[in-house]
Amino acid sequence: MNNQEVCKEDLLRHFISPEKIEKAPEGFTSNVMTRVHLLETSPLIPAKRPWKKNLVPAISAAVIVLLIASALLIPGSQPDSLANPALSLFKNLKFSMPAINMSSIFRFTLPSVMIYAFIGILILTLFDRALYRIFHREE
Amino acid sequence: MDYKGDIYYIEQILAGDINCFSCIVDRHKDKAFNLAFRICGNHEEAEELAQDSFLKAYRSLKSFKMKSSFSTWLYRIVYNTTISHVRIKKKGILSLEDFPADATDFIGISTSEEEAEKEYRSSLVNFALQRINEEERGLISLYYYEEMSVEEIYVVTGITKSNIKVKLFRARQKMLEIIEKVEKKNLVYYE
Repeated sequence: MNNQEVCKEDLLRHFISPEKIEKAPEGFTSNVMTRVHLLETSPLIPAKRPWKKNLVPAISAAVIVLLIASALLIPGSQPDSLANPALSLFKNLKFSMPAINMSSIFRFTLPSVMIYAFIGILILTLFDRALYRIFHREE
Repeated sequence: MDYKGDIYYIEQILAGDINCFSCIVDRHKDKAFNLAFRICGNHEEAEELAQDSFLKAYRSLKSFKMKSSFSTWLYRIVYNTTISHVRIKKKGILSLEDFPADATDFIGISTSEEEAEKEYRSSLVNFALQRINEEERGLISLYYYEEMSVEEIYVVTGITKSNIKVKLFRARQKMLEIIEKVEKKNLVYYE
């Protein structure tokens, strides 16, 4: 500390007297104790167990991993694949809606992976909403 | 009644006697309130913040390591609670005109001239404190009012020691400048 600093410090000490502290107002202790007693007597909210706290993200993560794994491991051309019945069901669905020629609206073609991405997003959104409803109803 | 030491009462509380907490509150309330008041500059808010801090301390009493000083631990809670409150609720900076004229204004509310001078100086410091930022206010308060060392302030605030020294130096300079300006203004006003 240089002299100038010491001098400035002393000057401020001239203005500040530590014994002149602001005292807590009357009834401070009793107010704190009332709040402490309220805290103790209020019905305790049971703490959520860690596994229950992280259940939603855990299930979501598991399902996403499962979907990714199935997409990678189940080949589309395999005749006995587990996904085959579901795929054939989708293929056999007859839509009565008129087909829209998208190429006339958009003058570009989307990569085929985009369709899967959109379906994936849709499934995850529905899944997320379902989980949200289940767990919020419980609370 | 003789105070038996913080550790004794903490052990009693942890054993289930919650009324012992009142002894701890009684012991530390003034310093906790003073610290909160110096940082936030408002009596009502300081009371609320000091109470909140005691409640936080009560709730976390189990995590308190008996080896360290309870008062330092409590000050850390008060300091953090008040600083974060002030940061959320930033107030406008006071202008020099907001300060009452000079020491003569305090004669009416004090018993003697000497007392009036003390009151004047105290409110001048308070005024200057409110014109520096909340972190500097906390540091000045801990250093001058609580008479803590830089080492102790480091434990309370978590700011490095060298940084504390720099910030204290700047805060001191700012406050002295403000005090000087107010006194000059008063001289001009009365000439």
